[in-house]
Order: sequence, then structure tokens, then C-alpha cells
Amino acid sequence: MMFYETKNGNVKLGAGFLTGFLSLSLFSACEKVIDLKLDNAAPAIVIEGGVNDLNENQVIRITKTYNFYDANRFNGVGGAKVVLTASDGTLVNYTESSPGIYMSPKFKGKPGTTYKLTVNSEGKTYTASSTMPQKVILNLLTFKSVNLVDKTRKYVTVIYDDPPGIPNQYHSIIRFKGKVKFDVATDDRFNDGNKVNDILFYDLKDMVPGDTIAVEFQCVDKAVYKYFFSMGQNTAEAQPVSPANPPSNFDNNALGVFSAYTSSSRKALVK
Amino acid sequence: MRNTYRVLLLLLLIAQFQFSFAQIKRTIIGNITDSKTGETLIGASVKLTIGSTAIAMTNSYGFYVISALEGVHDISVSFIGYKTITRQLSLSKDMRLNFVLEPGNQLDEVVISGVKSNDNVGSPQMGLQKINTSEINNLPMLLGERDVMKALQLLPGIKLAGEGNSGFYIRGGSTDQNLILLDEAPVYNASHLLGFFSTFNSDAIKDVTVYKGGMPAQYGGRLSSVLDIRMNDGNRKENTLEGGIGLISSRLKVEVPIVKDKGSFMISARRTYADAFFKLSANPSVNRNTLYFYDLNAKANYKIDDKNTLFLSGYFGRDKLNLVRLFGFDWGNATVTLRWNHLYSSRLFSNTSLIYSKYNYIIHNLIEDSNYEVNSFIRDFNLKQDFEYNISNQHKLKFGLNGIYHTIAPGTMTTTGASSVNPVTYEKRKGLELAGYVTDEWTASEKLKIVYGLRLSSFSLLGPGNFKTYNADGDITQARSYGSGEFVKNYINPEPRFSASYRLNRNSSIKTSYTRNTQNIHLMSNSTSTSPTDLYIMNSNNVKPEIADQVSMGYFRNFKEDQFEFSAEIYYKWMQNQIEYRNGTDLREKDNVEADLLYGDGRAYGIELFLKKRFGKFNGWIGYTFSRTERQFDALNAGRWFYAKQDRTHDISLAGIYKPGLRWTFSTVFVYNTGNAVTYPSGKYQVNGRTVFYYTDKNGYRTPAYHRLDVSATLEGKPGKRFQSSWTFGIYNLYNRQNAFAINFKDDPNDVTKTEVVRTTLFGIIPSATWNFKF
Repeated sequence: MMFYETKNGNVKLGAGFLTGFLSLSLFSACEKVIDLKLDNAAPAIVIEGGVNDLNENQVIRITKTYNFYDANRFNGVGGAKVVLTASDGTLVNYTESSPGIYMSPKFKGKPGTTYKLTVNSEGKTYTASSTMPQKVILNLLTFKSVNLVDKTRKYVTVIYDDPPGIPNQYHSIIRFKGKVKFDVATDDRFNDGNKVNDILFYDLKDMVPGDTIAVEFQCVDKAVYKYFFSMGQNTAEAQPVSPANPPSNFDNNALGVFSAYTSSSRKALVK
Repeated sequence: MRNTYRVLLLLLLIAQFQFSFAQIKRTIIGNITDSKTGETLIGASVKLTIGSTAIAMTNSYGFYVISALEGVHDISVSFIGYKTITRQLSLSKDMRLNFVLEPGNQLDEVVISGVKSNDNVGSPQMGLQKINTSEINNLPMLLGERDVMKALQLLPGIKLAGEGNSGFYIRGGSTDQNLILLDEAPVYNASHLLGFFSTFNSDAIKDVTVYKGGMPAQYGGRLSSVLDIRMNDGNRKENTLEGGIGLISSRLKVEVPIVKDKGSFMISARRTYADAFFKLSANPSVNRNTLYFYDLNAKANYKIDDKNTLFLSGYFGRDKLNLVRLFGFDWGNATVTLRWNHLYSSRLFSNTSLIYSKYNYIIHNLIEDSNYEVNSFIRDFNLKQDFEYNISNQHKLKFGLNGIYHTIAPGTMTTTGASSVNPVTYEKRKGLELAGYVTDEWTASEKLKIVYGLRLSSFSLLGPGNFKTYNADGDITQARSYGSGEFVKNYINPEPRFSASYRLNRNSSIKTSYTRNTQNIHLMSNSTSTSPTDLYIMNSNNVKPEIADQVSMGYFRNFKEDQFEFSAEIYYKWMQNQIEYRNGTDLREKDNVEADLLYGDGRAYGIELFLKKRFGKFNGWIGYTFSRTERQFDALNAGRWFYAKQDRTHDISLAGIYKPGLRWTFSTVFVYNTGNAVTYPSGKYQVNGRTVFYYTDKNGYRTPAYHRLDVSATLEGKPGKRFQSSWTFGIYNLYNRQNAFAINFKDDPNDVTKTEVVRTTLFGIIPSATWNFKF
């Protein structure tokens, strides 16, 4: 979907610019970290992971939610049984490598195959299915500079050829120094069959010449797209939507997502 | 429903009988106008006293009808802020009497002490708020920009949608459930600069009336309220020029009589220069950016003879934002109203209106390799015929017909050159709204007044196009293609309206009302604020008309010789077929949007208290509202009732205006309200190495309470000169309260192991100065 993201990005930029401008010109707007009382919800299970088309140990992470003001951590849930079945009859058992991290033997997922993940944890069973789409390669990464009032912002752009006639969904992930910095879900609704340039609206202001950023470009199915798209909307700053948990493809009220995806990665040197 | 019809029919019959047995009376008709400008006065009262008293009020065209037995009467004509005319009248035939009222000085007690208006007590209308432009002009405003909508939000039951937002919530309704009429033309998007200012330039406005409940049957189409704004007709006596220069905008108004006392026109313009700061920059990528809005109001009227008057009015406003080689965005409304007042007889007044109304937006992506332009609009052609038939002083019948042809173009996307974007056109939707109404204003006795009526509204969704039907999961169950003009779906809704007042004594009354309202056009918004790009949809196979039933009761009292007015109203409202987006909806799904909609119920209730000091050196008011607004959707919040985002428990507003002498006016405004219901996280987890927040109950939290104090001072020039000017100085948010515009949750940028809550405040303390002139 490239386009719409672009479009949303622009509206966001516009609105952000406007708000910024008003604030600036009135020299009074301000941001402040505040202490807000938040409830501590009962921990809920989160299952996250996927199967890709690379020959590697596929990983499923099972965690529980924890309190907002707790330190960020991997809150793993051990002792679960994780089984993957594929529409071609393959059955894969996962083993727990550390609490909450479950790994398969090395294997390569195949486009067109539907994978079903079954997780047994603490007496409950959770299942999710995902179909691996046909692969689209990330052709190129470039940088694009955008002038906003008196600031120039630099963004990374993904370039690929969208296959005509079929709906495609993509999930682009920016990593910097091994950490995920940004991800965005897009589809081809507005540019089916075209050579697409999609700006990833993540401000590279922290990067200095010589830094390398990595972009992983995934092809995902519709439910997974919806999950990541919805997650992105929750964090949109200019036009806050009424937030909700992104729609998971797991049953039994588990949070998280199971994705069968193709993966294509490139690195770019910041100049 | 059938019973309601029977009751109405019976009441109509009774009315007819009374009429036929009544004694022969003489009828007086006429217009009431302002002596200086020739503007007709809306809601002025004419009172005849001969033993018993008869009262009539001017309608929205300044026209009145009153009947009385032959004989010598005391007649008095009054309007708030004007000097009362009292004289003796010997009535022996039907006659036309036009009155010209002289504006009075609010300070002058004598002027007011004639017949004091206590219509608020006597009229059966409930849920009514009126505000006059002089009040608006005296109140402190953000950046000194006078704003009708913001002034209204200082009244009980009318709530500001958010800081710097012109949207408003009335009695638990959402922003799109308000019918906003400018000279009868619906204005679809009443805000500028993403909601910081309203589209109504107060220079051009004569009268503002808000119905929060008990809407008369001539109004329909929205669930919560009617905001009826009338533009100035233009000075019929002399040329005038007035204007103002402010921090963010300038205004100019010209009024010219076409033929003295017969016709005039008025043009009023306003333009902001929010982007003036850009021009100061030497950087071409900065100084070529634009950001501004303008409004143009124009109106002409011509009185052909005593029986025929024509009015032509229009409004054009636009916002423009352009970032060089990046992004362009502009949006605005255009309305045109052509009206013909005709007097068929002294008893039958008619108004015919032909109305055009359009709202559109255009988005330009100016980035070369992904360029596109999106065009979207909603457009109405509207024909309205209203009659007022004065059967007697006891019965005033209003009836009429209305037809609106709507077209909605959700979006047409075009591209040029080597864009990676494909052009797309979404199907237009066409709909026809037809309505007929009849209502009787019945003065049953000196104490009891009843207004009862029925509005019958229908909506038809018309072809051409492909129309889909969805099940509860959002899957398509049926798809059909319809030809041009073919009826896809029809809805008919009877809307009974009833209100009554019972006068306990001269100074106090109790009132009650019941109204049903329906709504056929819906604005879909998933964000916490409204956006110029929000999508309008019509009723369809899936979307049903929204329905609201409201009952209310109130106690009204004036005291100290009408110097003070007090009211207490309670209401309960049931709403059906309310619409929400499914969680996680992609708002770009314009061709399939109905797959992502959920339908449910709503309820709202509350109490509104209002105390106003109406005149004197010091005047002002205090309003308090306690309210609840909840919604219930099977697929949201596990089917439990949740607070609607517009739910606010307490809302207090205070306005004070002090005029110690002829030249200085001081004013102050204080507002306090409980925060809106919002969804905040109650936990967190990690996905893909990033922090994700865990949400539990929908709208289970509250934003921090909002409060603010503003002050302003106006210095008028020396009175009596031809050229008059004034200075207004204001301070917005005097004690620099850091109200939350947004609250964001994110990883602490300095410590990735922590998450933090960040509050954004838009407006701290802001001074302003405006210079106004008139000659």
C-alpha cells in the first residue's frame, strides 16, 4: 500500500506543522512529562512471532503484559507448548530456548502456504493462522530531504515494484544499531502494479554521517497488515485516534500477532 | 405512533372550532426595525392591553401579527437593548403598523424599566439559548478573535469539543449531530485552522439561536441541536464602513443602502495572516509557504412592496495551507440562500428559500514521484417552503415542506507525470431528503401555552452505483448495482414535537417538552478531534437513520424586575442507531467504509442551571451543567455501556461584563470542566522489540480537568463622533493553566527502559490587542 501511508504521513506532517507553527508563533505551547495515575490491569498473554522465507530458526515469543510504570522488560512466559502445522502437512514442534522464547529447528517457509500456530500455555489453548504471500523484493533504499519551515528533515525511502492485479500488503521495519526504531504497514491500494517510492516517516535526526540503518521489507497477509496498521494509528501524534488494542489474529483473547511473511532487507549508509 | 396522529388531529380540530366561534377581531401586522440601520429585529415583542393582554413576537424576518377586539388599546413595542415605545391605539380596522426602535443604552435603567422582556418565562420554548452580538463582542477571546461559537460554549449544556476547537457537544450529542444553519443553509464544517476558529465572522451576524431540545418542527435533520444563525441584512439608512485589525486577522464590513429604506447590501470579509511570519524569513523554502483562511459574507435585500421582500445571501470561506514542494491542503464552505418573503394575507406569511450548500477539501501531495491530488465534497440543493398562518392570537399555525438533494463525493484522486500513485475515483452517493411539518402554537390560556406538531421526514438513497450489504462481522452478504435515479433504500420517520409552559405567576413558569429527531447524514470520525477530511456518509442498506427521543422539564424564574433570570432544566435522551468505527479501522476504506461500522445505542441525561444578570453596570451569567453521556455497542467494551468521549460530569462557566462609564468595558470569563472520557493504557508489552500499550476499558479514563480565566478591556473612543474607534486588550488564560491538548504515552527518549506520559499544552497565557473602527 504505499500510497496511503504517504498520504497519511503528509496529513500528519501538515497538521503537525500547523500545530507547531501556532505553538511557535505564540511561544507558549509546551510539552511536559507528567505523573498520571494509571490502572494496573491483570496480566494478559501476548503471543508474537512468525514464519519467514529465510532458512533460520523461526521464533515465537510468549509474554505477559505488565504495569505501565514498570521498567520495560521481556516478561517471558515459560512452559508453553508451541506447535506449527502447515497446509502442506508439515508439523513443527518448538522448543523453549529461554523463558518465553520458543524456537523451531531451522526451516524455510514457502509463499502460498498457510501456517497454523497452536500455543498451550497455563491450561489455555490459543491458535492463529497466517498465509505467506508471494515475495516482493526491496529494490533500493534512498534518502529524501524535506524542508519544513526552517528545518530540513531526512527520511529513508523504500523502492520496490508492486506486482499488478493482486492486493499486496507490506510491513517495513527500520533498525538502527540492532534496535527497532520504526515500523509501518502499507498496502498497494493506490499504487497497484507501479514502481513505488514510499517515504518512511521516521525522522533520522539522531543519525550522523557514517551510521548505517537497516530496513527489513516484509510481505504480509491482510490480517497482519491490519494489526500493524492499527498499531501505527495508535501512535499517530497529530491526529490522535481513539486507541484500542490492535486486532490480533489469535483467538481466546490473546494479544499479539502471528505472521507468515517474506523478508527482504537492505542497509543504507547515512551521508 | 398512530395514537399520536389521532391526538394531533383532535387538537387541530379543537383549534378550528375555537377559531370559528371567536369574535370578530381586528388584525395588526407590521415590521419592527432598528432606527439607525433599518435592520429588522428578530424576537421583538408587541403587546396590546385592553383588560386582557395579547403579545406577539416578530419572526426571523422582523414581521409580526397580532389580533385584538376593536377599541382603544395601550400598545407597547419592546426589544432588549432598545427603547420601548408605548402609545395608545384606537383600533377600528385591520391595519399595518411598522415600528422603528431606537437602540438604548444598557446603562440607562429608565429605558429598560418600561416593558421588560420576560419572554424566557412566558414562552413554551425550552432548551433555548440566545446570544446577541454585543455580548459576543464584549467577551474576552483567544487572540482577540470574536467568535460566536466560542461565546456559545459559555452557556450551560453547550460544551467546547477541545482546546482551540470550534466543534461543540450539546446535551451529549457529538459534533456532527448539530445542525448549523447560516441563513438557513447548512454549514458542514464550521471551523477554520483545524478547529481553532469558527467560520462565523461576528461582524456579519445579527442573531444566534441555539435549540438544545424542544426543537420546533420546522427544524430537522440532526439529532442534538439546531444552531440558527442569521446574517445582518445590511444598513438600509446610510453607508457604513467598519473593521478591525487584530494580531491574527483583519476584518472589514461595508453596508450600503440600495434604495433608502427599501433595500441594502452588506459585505463583510475577514482574512487571517497567520503566515505573515513566514515572509520575514530569507529562506525561499520558508517564505513561500502559506497558511491562512478567509471568510466572505455578503447579503442583499430589497423590499419590493409591503407584501414582497427578497433576500440574497452568501458565505464563502476557505483555509489554505501550502508547504512548498511538499504538501497542499485547502478546504472550505460555500453557501447561497435566495429567499422570498410574501404576505398572502394579513394572516398568512410565507417564505420560500432556495439554498445551495457545499463543503469540499483538496489535498495535494507535491512530492514529485508520488504526487496526487484528492478532491472530496458534500453538496446540497435545498428547497424550503414555510408558512405561518395566524388563526388567532390563540393559534398560530406553522407548516411547510422541505426537499434536499445531497451529493457526496468521498474522493477523486488524480495524478500527473511519473507518480507512483494510480488515479482512483470513489463512487458518488446521492440522497433525497423530504420533509413536511405542521405545528400549532396554542395559547390555551394566559397561563398555559402549548406548541405541538409533527415533522415527517423521509430519506431515499438513490442510484447509480454499486451498493453492498454487510453482516455483523463486516462481510459482504449482498452486492447490487443500481441505475441512475433508482431508489436503493427508503426510510420514513415521523418526528412528534411537543412543548408546553405553565405560568405560575408573572415571574415564574414550569415547562416540559418531548421531541424526536432523526438524522440521515453522518460524519465519520475516529479521532479525538474533528478533521477537515472526516468522511460524510448517508443512510444506506447498512446505516439506519439515527433517532433521538428527548424529554425535558424546566423551571424558569425572573426576579428583581427581570434584572435576573434563572432557569433549571433537566433532560433525558435516548439515542438509537448510533455509529462507531470498529477498533483498528483503516479510515482510508472509503469504498468499503460501511464494513467497518458498528451500530449501537446511546443515552444522555443531565441538569443545567443558569443564572443571568441581564442589565446594569455589571451584567453576566453563571452556568452549571451536570451530565452523563453513554453508549452501548455489542462489539465494543464487551457490550457494556461506556462513556462517550463527550461525556463530562461537571461543567461551569462564568462570564462577567462591567461597564463603569461610557468608554471602558471590562470583561472576564472563567470555565471549568471535568476531563473528557478517553482510553489510556493500563499496561504494556513488547512486540517486534517495541513497546506496545495495553488498553482495557474503552474511554475508561478522564483527561485532566480543564479550566481557564480570561480577561479583557475595551476602550471606546469619545462618543458622538462620526468616526468611532475602539481598542480591545485581552489576556487569555490569565493564570497560565497548562491544559492538556494531547496526552501521549511513549518510551522515555533518555532511558529506553522507561515509558512516560507527555502532556502537550497549546495555549498558555496569551495577550492580544485589537483595534476596531466604524464610520
